[in-house]
Amino acid sequence: MRILSAKDNNRGQEEMVGFALIIILVSIIILAFIGFSLNNHSSQSVQSYGAQSFVQSMIQTSTECTDYYGYVSVKDLIFMCNSGTLCSDNQDSCSVLNSTLQDLLNQSWNVLGGGPIKGYSLNISSDTGNILGIISGNLTSSSEGASQDFSEPSGGNVNIVFNTYL
Amino acid sequence: MTFMILAVTLFFVLVGMFILMTQVSGLKQKAAILQSDNAKLLASKIADSPEFSCGDSYGTGMSSCIDADKVINLKNYLSAYGYGRFWGIQGLQIIRIYPEENNIECTSSNFPNCGVITLIPNTNGTGISNFVSLCGYNITNGQSYAQCGLAKIIVYYQGAP
Repeated sequence: MRILSAKDNNRGQEEMVGFALIIILVSIIILAFIGFSLNNHSSQSVQSYGAQSFVQSMIQTSTECTDYYGYVSVKDLIFMCNSGTLCSDNQDSCSVLNSTLQDLLNQSWNVLGGGPIKGYSLNISSDTGNILGIISGNLTSSSEGASQDFSEPSGGNVNIVFNTYL
Repeated sequence: MTFMILAVTLFFVLVGMFILMTQVSGLKQKAAILQSDNAKLLASKIADSPEFSCGDSYGTGMSSCIDADKVINLKNYLSAYGYGRFWGIQGLQIIRIYPEENNIECTSSNFPNCGVITLIPNTNGTGISNFVSLCGYNITNGQSYAQCGLAKIIVYYQGAP
């Protein structure tokens, strides 16, 4: 019969202490990782194919504003609004652009009906500053969106950013 | 010593399994999003096909643009496309969103005073939609003008929703 010596007891205790220290260390690392993940409140926007096709189709839509050639598209109306050009019937191009985009967005994205889309935001800007901004609904931290850049005939750049919030 | 090694190994295996579970739990959602995006790509592919596309008729550089005149006349020739089998779909519908119209089915005589073009009635498929431009020529004050509205193309296919 082997009698455990004090040295054997100490060795076993040292191993258990070491094991406990490893468990504590790994638990602290996991807790820190979980805490970091939960505290990350920055909104993440994911590129959405639906939003992209909406933006592409939206800028091609004809508006009530006319010029010499006929009905002006949203894209051309943005250029007119940015340059201060009036429609052929003397309507303010920016007012027509605002009302047209409001109608387009209201009829395309239902944010008040309890569906998956809780809100949307549309921002149109150029090199000289913001042209138009439309927001509706609840802007949550999770969003999908799309952006489109195109050049003005005068040489400047226009940027459209559209986001839907889930 | 052996017990110590076994215990530490088992502990790290449990930690690894926990991490793997949290990573894999998001895979189903990602797969569903991917399937949805692929289905939307199918709708865009159909919209950009020669039978539907505006081409250069309404200006250059237009994408996701459907020629309403082409599509309305296409109804008469669907037998040549196997009533949807050519595109691998169960149903196909285009609904105008802006300018807002009624639910009247479009024909060559009532366009643009209508809101729905049903090419292939849905027989039992799952529908996915995508935004497109729906363009046509309208006569105003005796002159013909190109006008494009916003519409949704709804493609019904055989698959899980």
